[in-house]
Amino acid sequence: METYQFNFQAMGCPCELRLAAADRSLANEVAVICTSETQRFESKYSRYLTDSVTSRVNNASGLHPVTIDPEVAAILDYSGVCYVQSEGLFDITSGVLRQLWNKNMRRLPTDSELEFYLDKVGWKKVEISANEVFLPIKGMQLDFGGVVKEYVADVLAAKARSMGIEHGLINLGGDICIIGPQPDGTPWSIGITHPTEGNSAIAVIELSEGAVTTSGGYERYFDIDGLRYSHLINPETGWPVEGLLSASVAAPTSIVAGSLTSIALLKTPEDGIRFLEECATPYFAVDQQLGCHGNLGEVCHA
Amino acid sequence: MAKPNPFLALSTAAMALPAFAAPQPVETIVAIKATTYQEEDVPQRDVLAGSDERYKIDIAQFRLLTPVGEKWSLGVDVAYETMSGASPWGTIMGADGEASLIMSGATIRDKRTEVSLTATHHGESRSISVDLASSDEDDYEARAVSISGEWEMNNKLSTLSLGVSYSSDDIEPTDALRFGRVQREEKISRSLSAGWAQVLNKNSVVHVGLDVTDHDGYLSDPYKLRDVRPDEKLEWALSLKYRRYFDNQNAALHLDYRYYNDDWGINSHTFHTGWHQNFGDNVRVVPNVRYYSQNEADFYRGTDDFGLATTINQSSDFRLSGYGAYTLGVKLIYSALQWDVSLSIDRYISDKSYGHDASDQSHPALLSFNMTSFGLNFRF
Repeated sequence: METYQFNFQAMGCPCELRLAAADRSLANEVAVICTSETQRFESKYSRYLTDSVTSRVNNASGLHPVTIDPEVAAILDYSGVCYVQSEGLFDITSGVLRQLWNKNMRRLPTDSELEFYLDKVGWKKVEISANEVFLPIKGMQLDFGGVVKEYVADVLAAKARSMGIEHGLINLGGDICIIGPQPDGTPWSIGITHPTEGNSAIAVIELSEGAVTTSGGYERYFDIDGLRYSHLINPETGWPVEGLLSASVAAPTSIVAGSLTSIALLKTPEDGIRFLEECATPYFAVDQQLGCHGNLGEVCHA
Repeated sequence: MAKPNPFLALSTAAMALPAFAAPQPVETIVAIKATTYQEEDVPQRDVLAGSDERYKIDIAQFRLLTPVGEKWSLGVDVAYETMSGASPWGTIMGADGEASLIMSGATIRDKRTEVSLTATHHGESRSISVDLASSDEDDYEARAVSISGEWEMNNKLSTLSLGVSYSSDDIEPTDALRFGRVQREEKISRSLSAGWAQVLNKNSVVHVGLDVTDHDGYLSDPYKLRDVRPDEKLEWALSLKYRRYFDNQNAALHLDYRYYNDDWGINSHTFHTGWHQNFGDNVRVVPNVRYYSQNEADFYRGTDDFGLATTINQSSDFRLSGYGAYTLGVKLIYSALQWDVSLSIDRYISDKSYGHDASDQSHPALLSFNMTSFGLNFRF
């Protein structure tokens, strides 16, 4: 049995499939299904594509409700649970605040600008019925970026399994699903990127089943007046978060692992670690002083 | 109340996402069920001869459903029934001008064993099942085979189902020589079914189904004194089902309607509605009402006519008469982590006046019955 590797770009990040199969044709078939499924999700949920459901909902903000199918409804329901469990920090309506915090702004927002955009943020303002969603304020936006990519990793793992893959790894930009150990029975090794030293690993995680996801404030950031700001924004204050540099969580599914890492990163470092401890699921976190926390993986020593 | 662990809260919520709704069973289910079915006695004044005690049936059922490998599942169903009581042999015009019943005399005792095996192959978005079934009684043997498939489409919003089945039944009436009954007869049935289920939104589903069945062979009741039916019957039925879940009430409404028609002249309507109310995570209560109505068959007679040639169709079977029936029932289900316990009680009453065709003749054998079931499911 051989392991075949497929690399592609989707949902704004590098994606990787490693599929162990008796022959290349099965691996190819699975890869075709997985890439087309990824594209289906991307075209359905991307906020950059004008005919995506996300764009249709966003463009109808303040105007009228938009009909949604059960998959969208289920993802919205799940996002609502994330909102509650994060006590309001994980909010799929907070993306609009990126208008204030991006590389091109080069200045801090004014209070009136903050007020203007904060008015358009708030999961609780979203009106959801059985088959419709409505953003009541003109300019409100949904952004499934923090949910769909993680979910797609689970979907691809389930597809690959149903097609007969028993050893494999799905990696969608750091959201990783494992389908059994490597063909020789050894676990897969997953490196956690060092938050400040781009190409090296700060820790290595060994996993044979389930999922692991990593989020880092270091991934995307911008500097204003010599200060560095993370792309993660607190939806209540409208200001970027100064939280953990990186968090990884292992869980049976990528969507749950991903939600937990995202929530941990939106909190202060202390609260983030407390939250991960409370979840009682394996985690690895790096604080702002590069201190390592958690029981997941082996820390690499330089 | 302690705040739930966020990991558990999110894991539970994630299970509602479509990717985690596993089509093939991932656990083994063992179920047992005991049912008592008791028909009420016929009023003594309606019986000319024979016993007024009607059927009592005790049913024990066993079911095993288990995954075999990653793509197959196997189901085994076994049912064992013991029946006792008397059944109507015929009707005759009584002294008061109303139809009177001739019932079987001494209590009939019989037992029936039914076994069925189902193998299902679960594919990416379709499943195919093959089912073999056999039923044995002292005087009746039935063998059936069926093949059915389900295909999910439109992003799992629609499901098409198609099925074919074939059954061959042999009947060898007891005491055939003594009562001049047929000694051995057979019947063949073939049916086709098609269905379409459509998810309308996250809380409601509608299902439309069409069934056509053709029976060929000996279709009369050999125990009746005079029962001559056509040796062919073509029947078809259209069914509509609607399921609606209500988030706020934590409950679901089931609304079903079925229209049936056959070339013996019977049309029937069945309405069935149930309210599935959950109380917390463990308890479900399902009150339900069923209404059924049919008109009589073309060759139905209120009283047997022994003056007619035996080649002319006639039957006084109450099941071919025009009538209506109500069933009121309630089911209670308690679910623990691996166990479900259920209890259901149903009361059935029927009468000519409940039916939709007022011109039909009444039948004294129209029955009432009570049915109680107790079931246990175990998953592992």
